Amino acid sequence: MDFDRQTKDRAFAFLRGVGIAMIIFVFLGPILWIFLTAFKPLSAVYTMSLWFEPTLDNFRQIFDKPFYLGQKLWNSIVISAFTVAIGVPTALAAAYSFSRFPMKYKKSLFFGVLATQFIPPMVVVLPFFLMFRTLGLLDTWTGMIWINLSIVLPFAIWMLKGFIDTIPIEMEEAAMIDGASRLRVVWDIVLPVCVPGLFVAGIFCFIFSWNDFLYALILTKKEAVTLPVTLNAFYTEEGDRWELMAATGTFILLPMFAISFFIQRHFVQGATQGSDR
Amino acid sequence: MTDRSFKYMFIAPAFLLVSATVLYPLLYAIWTSFHEWRLSKSRAPTDFVWFENYARAFFDDPAFLQSVGVTFTFIIGSVVSAILVALLIALLLSRQGKIYTVTRTIIVLPFAMSPALQGTSFRFFLNQEFGVFDRLIGFIFPFAAEIDWLGDSTWAMIWLILTDTWHWAPFLSLMLIGGLLSIPRDTIEAASVDGASAWMRFWTVVLPQLLPVLAIACVLKTIFSFKMFEYVYLLTGGGPGTSTATLTYYAYRQGFHAYDMGYASAIAFVLAILLIGVSVVYFRLLFPKEKEV
Repeated sequence: MDFDRQTKDRAFAFLRGVGIAMIIFVFLGPILWIFLTAFKPLSAVYTMSLWFEPTLDNFRQIFDKPFYLGQKLWNSIVISAFTVAIGVPTALAAAYSFSRFPMKYKKSLFFGVLATQFIPPMVVVLPFFLMFRTLGLLDTWTGMIWINLSIVLPFAIWMLKGFIDTIPIEMEEAAMIDGASRLRVVWDIVLPVCVPGLFVAGIFCFIFSWNDFLYALILTKKEAVTLPVTLNAFYTEEGDRWELMAATGTFILLPMFAISFFIQRHFVQGATQGSDR
Repeated sequence: MTDRSFKYMFIAPAFLLVSATVLYPLLYAIWTSFHEWRLSKSRAPTDFVWFENYARAFFDDPAFLQSVGVTFTFIIGSVVSAILVALLIALLLSRQGKIYTVTRTIIVLPFAMSPALQGTSFRFFLNQEFGVFDRLIGFIFPFAAEIDWLGDSTWAMIWLILTDTWHWAPFLSLMLIGGLLSIPRDTIEAASVDGASAWMRFWTVVLPQLLPVLAIACVLKTIFSFKMFEYVYLLTGGGPGTSTATLTYYAYRQGFHAYDMGYASAIAFVLAILLIGVSVVYFRLLFPKEKEV
């Protein structure tokens, strides 16, 4: 009986190990393969080989003409950075208001903000294309930042409201009784406590605008093209340049890795706290 | 400054931005959908045509009706597939321990990865001559070596769904792990003491308590399946033929290849109405008694 149980437990542990190995293989494998391809010489790109002389040739090519990846990289950085820089404070202000003040129709208003994300982007992008054409905002940073804010803001407001809701209101009330203004209270008391929430919201905003494809595809053409749309440029007349796409892909992936390191730190902290209990 | 003026001042920037980016375009889209507007011929809408664009879609355009079918096939397939895979991953990973923490961190990556890059890469991975997926599958299942994954309409749809699952299942599994870890352990142990097998414990104790999180995951995934564009555009290109052209993709083609703005707006708007309809049905089914959401 006991022996049976032991073998059964071992079998389960083994299966679980296989399962985890499969998860890692399936979800990490394709990403690593993109990296690998980026460093392959042309002769090895279309083979399965894992052993090859690594080269930076692909990177040299994408930064050179006619692709000029540098400009697209800069566009992506500027657009994402401004989206975060404008989006997060705006969202924080709105989230604070939603969290702290009584308001008529607050629930419907708050739900309305979230519901905007139910609308398929394709519905919104058509009018935007026409509107931007009239305003001269097609293919500009301003236009891209504006439209990215529309995706990012509702999520950020929702996340930050949840965060502010968990902060006890007593400190703010005490400060107000002592004569501090609302603005002071927000700046000195709420903001410092909110830093982790702001970080998470900022990361989300960054990922969304960094990865956006549909809006950039339709609303940019030459000057404000971002990295994901650049991938299209490698379907050239001389054929599909998969190795150049992979090299571009590494730049698209780079910030994601930085972010996941950050997330890991938080996850690991959380787990160790759990085991202490 | 009083609190009264303060609260509106604080909300105003976000509210203005959201309405300028959503409400106005939405109204503009409705207005456009009632007009005849070929961008190649005219810079402004020409005629007010009432519901002609909608009538054309439903009665006069088999390609539109086909793409409605494609859209629902994709939505049902991708929701079921993503939820099942997510559940499987969650059951495996909802434990304490370093290896579980590390694995949970790794599976954040597919979700954070640009869908455009993923669509492009998977297209190459599936290439019949040099694709790494194609080779691996051919190696494990020799009988599948000859299949042209993206050249066959059934397989193209399956890969479209699997590509989407690769992106979404990890994220949904993190949601489910949160749900699983919050289930009180004593309920599971009690069932265990009563002699319930692992299989029975899952169906009678774990699953019912996981249902609320599972429901939210389903709703979220359905909404995002409606919105999916990148994979059709970059993985299958709507093909072979039009066998994977979803409504989003069809609207895109009508708007930016045929330059028929009125018709494209009408299609996009049908998509929005379908999404709202499905959401309402969902909420009725999932939260029948709750009045407040």
